[in-house]
Amino acid sequence: MAETTASYKEPSALRVYAGQLRRNPMGMLGLVLVLIVVATAIFAPWLAPYDPNQIMLGPRMGAPSAEHWLGTDQLGRDLLSRVIAGGRIAMLVAVATLGAALSVGLALGLIAGYGPRWLDNILLLIFDAVRSFPVIVFGLAVVALVGPSLYTVILVVAITSIPIYARIVRTQTQALRGAEFILAERAMGASTLRILGVHVLPNVLGPLLILASMDVPMVIATEAGLSFLGMGVRPPAPSWGTILNDGYNFIRNSPWPVIAGSAPIIIVTLGFTFLGEALRDIFDPKLRRNS
Amino acid sequence: MTKKIHTITLGRRGFLQGAVATGLAAGTMPLGQAIWAAEGAMLNAFSYADIDKLDPGFYQNGYNVDVMNCIYHKLARYVPGREWEIENEAAEELEQVDDTHIRFRLKPGIMFSGGYGEMTAEDVKFSFERVLEHDSPVKGDWGPLKEVQLDPDDKYAGTIVLEKPFQPLWTITIPYGVGHIVSKKAVMEATGDGGDFGMKPPAFSGPYILDEWKPNQYVKLTRNPDYSGELKPGYDEIRIIPMDDEKVAERAYEAGDLDYTGISLSSLSNYKANPPADTTIKEFPSLYYVWVGMNIDNEVTGNEDLRKAIQWAINVPQIMDAAYFGEAKPSTGLIAPGLTGHREKALIPPEGDLDKAREYLEKAGGPPAQPITIDTLNATTWKTIAEVIQAQLGQIGIQVQVNVQDSGSFWTLGMESEGDRWKNMQLVVNRFSMMPDPFYATTWFTSDQVGIWNWERFSNPEFDKLNDEALSEADKDKRAAMYRKMQDLMEESGAYRFLTHEASPVMYRDSVEPALRPDARPLYVGFKPA
Amino acid sequence: MALYAIQRLLLSVLIIAVAVCLLNIMLHLVPGDPAVMILGPRATPELIEKTRVEMGLDQPFLIQMATFFGNLLRGDMGVDVFTGRSVTTIVMEALPFTLALISASIAWAALIGIPLGAYSALRRNTWIDRITGILSVGTISIPSFVMALYGTLIFAVWLGWLPAIGAGEGFGDQVVHLILPAFAVGVSWVGYIARIVRAAMLEVMGENHVRMARAFGLREGRIARGYVLRIAVLPAVTLIGAGVAHLFSAAVFVEVIFARPGIGALIVSAVNERNYPIVLGAVLITTAIIVLATLISDLVIAWLDPRQREGL
Repeated sequence: MAETTASYKEPSALRVYAGQLRRNPMGMLGLVLVLIVVATAIFAPWLAPYDPNQIMLGPRMGAPSAEHWLGTDQLGRDLLSRVIAGGRIAMLVAVATLGAALSVGLALGLIAGYGPRWLDNILLLIFDAVRSFPVIVFGLAVVALVGPSLYTVILVVAITSIPIYARIVRTQTQALRGAEFILAERAMGASTLRILGVHVLPNVLGPLLILASMDVPMVIATEAGLSFLGMGVRPPAPSWGTILNDGYNFIRNSPWPVIAGSAPIIIVTLGFTFLGEALRDIFDPKLRRNS
Repeated sequence: MTKKIHTITLGRRGFLQGAVATGLAAGTMPLGQAIWAAEGAMLNAFSYADIDKLDPGFYQNGYNVDVMNCIYHKLARYVPGREWEIENEAAEELEQVDDTHIRFRLKPGIMFSGGYGEMTAEDVKFSFERVLEHDSPVKGDWGPLKEVQLDPDDKYAGTIVLEKPFQPLWTITIPYGVGHIVSKKAVMEATGDGGDFGMKPPAFSGPYILDEWKPNQYVKLTRNPDYSGELKPGYDEIRIIPMDDEKVAERAYEAGDLDYTGISLSSLSNYKANPPADTTIKEFPSLYYVWVGMNIDNEVTGNEDLRKAIQWAINVPQIMDAAYFGEAKPSTGLIAPGLTGHREKALIPPEGDLDKAREYLEKAGGPPAQPITIDTLNATTWKTIAEVIQAQLGQIGIQVQVNVQDSGSFWTLGMESEGDRWKNMQLVVNRFSMMPDPFYATTWFTSDQVGIWNWERFSNPEFDKLNDEALSEADKDKRAAMYRKMQDLMEESGAYRFLTHEASPVMYRDSVEPALRPDARPLYVGFKPA
Repeated sequence: MALYAIQRLLLSVLIIAVAVCLLNIMLHLVPGDPAVMILGPRATPELIEKTRVEMGLDQPFLIQMATFFGNLLRGDMGVDVFTGRSVTTIVMEALPFTLALISASIAWAALIGIPLGAYSALRRNTWIDRITGILSVGTISIPSFVMALYGTLIFAVWLGWLPAIGAGEGFGDQVVHLILPAFAVGVSWVGYIARIVRAAMLEVMGENHVRMARAFGLREGRIARGYVLRIAVLPAVTLIGAGVAHLFSAAVFVEVIFARPGIGALIVSAVNERNYPIVLGAVLITTAIIVLATLISDLVIAWLDPRQREGL
């Protein structure tokens, strides 16, 4: 990932950005997809036609029908309801993971960027070490120790994402550190905390949030991936990965569970990626030249 | 020399047809003649579990015996085919003199590997008697063995003497695990006292030897260079590859990594409709029994009313639909149709009854505060069973957590010798392999077996007594009634909900001619290239 | 250049060392007896004691680390407690399969991505360029296991071409068995590579020496092949260096789905058995390879394009 060196824009420009986004068809498509998924996740209990874990006597591995729009799985459970409930899990993991990664990354990045040089070096080394772990492989190692659960997934993805955010924050902080207005503040006796909180933080938050939105697909894919391997969310919770795992095991019987489980993953990843790309183009015109 | 074939009588129904009772039916069987394989022939076969014991006197399970069949000789063996018959292997003559005496004479010239000499009646005596002397966990298989008398005039001959009649002798003892003959000299040298030699056979007598065992990867058998018997190995090398999940095995078969495998019932119709290239698919009935067990000595499942609530809440036909795609039928107990002691009906109907379940749950003081656990092997079918039960118990408000275990950790779950995990075990989805005699099912649930294979820790003096008496009962109807009663007792304890006997479809390459028991259990020693 | 290479090499070694420390600290951070953690549910008291002594878990943490590094330098990553086999051997047996898969995936991605990107750059704003643009964004984010599942569904189930599974025997057969799994891993990178190649080519084509060549009347196609592409390949190399970690993650799924042997399949089965020494060994080796790949790709780039050396 190229180091984004976007500068923070005043909120008054929001309307300008909205206008730019509206003129970007892929970005708009992304926004619509994201909104659909987020809304579905929020209203899941009211949208799902059936209890996602209810085992029904009806058709097993049924093709889509009027009663079951996406068909049924090997236990006769309604796939649409499971996919909707799975969206909630995916969003929960995304929000929790990115929240944790952002806040820790922010703190460590500020420390690295503003603290003494030796601390900066040590932190950079640890960031590089953590980033050299493949996410899934590292996740499996953690599961081997603490066992599979929703929290393990959140922990793993958060830890592996922290260095990315911390590095961005560090670069921004260092750039600001030498800026004249900061030097002036400091000369006037402002505390480090105040400088960080009032001047540095608002300047790094914007790019960080954009970056985070572009990371949502990665987080969701990791959760689904670990659950697919049976190392993530525990059954019968209907993670998209669990649905795919069931579908894979019965792939000779029916393609529908695989299709139903993968469709939301594809939609959500495309949605967030298109949206993130558009946002980056808008906020960071320098990078745009390259694409 | 004529070879004797024993036909085992199993009952009137179904596939398990037999001819006459107890005695010996004469006949000849062209076995293993001149089936030398082309050089370099290799067989890759699937097994549900890795081996964990190669001492026949102390075998743990049928997967151990599958390997023992290849590396040791026994007096008689099962004949591959659709009917339960046995034929002589190491024995030249084998004859039931009366209810408690079986005379045998070994074929001369069967050699033990490693220079341990020729197999004699002395080795037979040693092999059989050590099972009781060293208090083997499977000593029940030798039942009322008193001793093996040697013939003073003939070093190959002797007589097996029983304290009392032992009905399962011809089905589970002579041709199965504890019937294998080891070298007295080799075992004494290796162990000092003649006890369990575990995974390191000191000498081989079968057509194959254990070449290499990579735990969880494969068991590699190669031709026994010292072998002088008449069973000709069909392959230069047999690899038996353990896989917990049939679905994984199916994929490995499609990948060409296996030449023979069992297939899951949920895949059966698809494979029949669209078989892999050069493949034969065959269906066999199965004797396996699958059940949900509940730990009587656990704090939570120790509550009998809770156990009964669970029994009644489990809907077996639903499980058959979900886990077996309707290709398996609900069972009534441990003993499959066609075997002595099969129950026509279980006490609790297959569908259960949620109202009854709720009544029992109320008596038990409501659902447990913490979710109860159900342990299962990491295989698609078993996980599906556990998930259905999770949902079914959820209907009466009992929260369940499914614990998936790999085979190594699953098969030691209830064993006291393996730590304290047996205490925390609550519900378990389990499946045992079976031989065509009811004794082989009930014997694992006696008080002696508590903490060994009796993970439910069911202990009932009446059951133990019946189990003991039934093995000598010659009257078939009386014997059947005893086994039916035993299954009633198990069910009444609340610790068991019987699910199914499954069915055993297998597939193999057309280049392989498999040797399978009537329940599709592979007899690898008889496999040969087609 | 030599100085830069040495600096980078040292840094890489340091990163691997830190990664090793982190993995070991993790084992001790988890509450409970590390020996029990390593052995999982099958731990009998005897095995626990044996493990504790064998792995030096009864020693102070720093001594444990020193021992671990000492052993590591001799290529000893301990033994699998259950089978007694060397972890190094077990991991090294699996590694070639994964490396073959990853190489084939990169080959797929480059094979499609570079021509696609080059073509888009030469024919800007045509429909191929636009589709490449959308594809490049779209394929990046779709997880490899979804691709692999569709591969299985389409080729194994619907079309009935079975040799999609396993590793195969003999060279030719193994190559055939690689096609589909490698495609599933590589396809995500097609768009990425195409996009980077396109951007780099556009940049380079605007530069002086290309303009010069054009002025001399060289045909567009020759310019593209002779000058531009060589420089445009640079970003692709960068990407591969940075993407090896993702490729390893993707390999885990693809090995499981296509029943291929390899590091990923090894780790998954080791986790299933709670066999921590093997997990640890496999993670270490993959991490080292990733750091090494990044190093090599950085060095190649620095060698080809001296401007990059400044930013250490």
